[in-house]
Amino acid sequence: MKRSLATIIVGAGFALLVGLVLFTFQVRQTEVAVVTTFGRFDRELDEPGWYGRWLWPVQKVYKFDRRLQNFERKFEQTTTADGRNLIATVFVGWRVENAKLFLERFPSGDLNGAAQNLEGLVRDAKNGVLGRYRFNELITTNAARLKLRTVEQEMLELIQPKAASNYGVAVDLVGLKQFGLPESITAKVFERMRAERQALVKQFESEGEAEAIRIRSEADRQRQELLAKAEAEALVLRGQGEAEAAQSLAVFEKNPELAIFLLELDALAASLKDRSTVVLDPDMSPFSLLSGMPSALAEKVGIVEAATNLTEQTP
Amino acid sequence: MSTPQANSNAIPENTPDQALNDALGSVMGVMRVLMFVVLCSVLFSGVFTVEPNEVAVVLRFGKPTGTGAEQIRKPGLHWAFPYPIDEIVRMPVGQSHAVTSTTGWYFVSPEEAAAGIEPTGWGTLIPGVDGYLICADGNLIHARATLRYRISDPVRHSFHFGSAKDLLTNLLNRALLEAAAEFPADAAIYRDKLAFKDAVLASLNTALTEHALGVTLDPFEVEVVAPLDVRPAFEAVIAAEQERSRQINDARADAKEIVLTAGGDAQALISAGMSASNQVVTAVSAEATSFSEQLPHFDRNPQLFVRRRLTETVALVLTNANDKFLLPARNDNGPSLLRLQLSREPAKPAKPAGSANPSPR
Repeated sequence: MKRSLATIIVGAGFALLVGLVLFTFQVRQTEVAVVTTFGRFDRELDEPGWYGRWLWPVQKVYKFDRRLQNFERKFEQTTTADGRNLIATVFVGWRVENAKLFLERFPSGDLNGAAQNLEGLVRDAKNGVLGRYRFNELITTNAARLKLRTVEQEMLELIQPKAASNYGVAVDLVGLKQFGLPESITAKVFERMRAERQALVKQFESEGEAEAIRIRSEADRQRQELLAKAEAEALVLRGQGEAEAAQSLAVFEKNPELAIFLLELDALAASLKDRSTVVLDPDMSPFSLLSGMPSALAEKVGIVEAATNLTEQTP
Repeated sequence: MSTPQANSNAIPENTPDQALNDALGSVMGVMRVLMFVVLCSVLFSGVFTVEPNEVAVVLRFGKPTGTGAEQIRKPGLHWAFPYPIDEIVRMPVGQSHAVTSTTGWYFVSPEEAAAGIEPTGWGTLIPGVDGYLICADGNLIHARATLRYRISDPVRHSFHFGSAKDLLTNLLNRALLEAAAEFPADAAIYRDKLAFKDAVLASLNTALTEHALGVTLDPFEVEVVAPLDVRPAFEAVIAAEQERSRQINDARADAKEIVLTAGGDAQALISAGMSASNQVVTAVSAEATSFSEQLPHFDRNPQLFVRRRLTETVALVLTNANDKFLLPARNDNGPSLLRLQLSREPAKPAKPAGSANPSPR
């Protein structure tokens, strides 16, 4: 009896395991599932969990990755509103939203196949939207005029309803990945870039010289201004000194002639102070002594002869 | 009830049923052991370790267990039901990941890459082969960016995006395109590189905020260069700009020196003025004092005073004079002719202070 019970338990467990495998399935967090009964849509399961099913061929379960998928368009040429040829690459973030419709459109559930079908929608949207904007609205130093985000938003709005109704996918984002120019145009751009650079070189050379001259001239101007101010201040100081000195001149008014005489004596002594050559009249005092003593004094002291002799011996 | 004798004489039962029973008993014994081993294995197979640089999420029948922060199993020892009940999804949150945008970079052949040499410019750029960016001034540049990031929201990062890395790479490509569309080539390449990098980062952050990829950015690198064909022209511009800066800096240095020297000269002029002012005041004051002292002597005998002072001065002048000539008047009172050499020998330089004449021996 014991052996029978154990056998039954083991058998039941095994049968349960097989039954679970055959009659249940899981939908993971990253998946969405569609259950069909005899090929017809039965239900869509977009919540993760454990679900039951009938065996094939009664029911069949299709699972799709519902995470955001990345899709990139090829490099394709388009034309802007001002007739400029532009090569643009676009990337799209999309996910399975309506699993039933997705299964109808892509029975194999191949995500790459779905992406290929999206390609046409993206191409139309890209050409249509970029064709409405001028080149300088896509490439500009004026941030207010830059329309890249607007272009992306308009492309998204064009793609979203068609992708949802046609393929059962939700397009969450559209982004511009790369811009390019036709190969022949790049050669022309290079020529222009070289010419611009040469002009810049000349501009920088002349700017350097001009700026250096301007800076030095400004410094010279400052120098002259400083010196002029200093000279003016020095003049004022000297004037103040003269004014202060003039207060002492009242003393000289007691005898102006004597004052002038004394000043002249000082000036004479100062002007002939050093390395001077003096030519004198021998009759001038005191050289007149060489011709003889003053008569009045000679008479007083009685040495007229001696003075006369001294004069004769002078070469 | 059988006796021992009877038992010893009994013939052993060796029928086919008994043999089958024995065999089944042995098999059941083995099965029990196996079931025990399997049960133990199943129970212990649910034990798992989360490494220090990762977290894990346990999916029970495909659905994350727990809510909010409880969904995340941090590093340590954990247990879950065995597959297919539970599934362990590991997420490398600790380590730094990197994506690189090369849609703006020029083509490098494998041979050139291996040799570490730059390719030669071909005069044009081929769409789809050579990557580049169009700048705001219509010029072309090459740029590539390497973005390092860590996963900050592992649940969203892993369960919401099929390939978050690809999406991040495309968002980085887009950020480069947008930044280039706003910047002139010169600014992006050398004049305002930091601003260009900031613009790339700002564009990327906006996109990350909008799409919530569940990542935290680490410092990233942006490399921008001129196209190979026009690189010499850009280098000439940089050299010219450097030369301009040098000229301007030299001029500024000269200007500073000129102004500083002028300031010194101006101060010297003011000092000289001040000195002259003081000197004239002092001199006049001294003269006034001297005059006051001499005036009584003059008043006492003007003639003698004048003669004495005049003679003193003449003596002083003649003492200091180098050359003195007495030119007697001609007897006929006619004009006399005197020839003097005016070109003088240069004055001897003053001897430095402290130097002494060598004493003759």
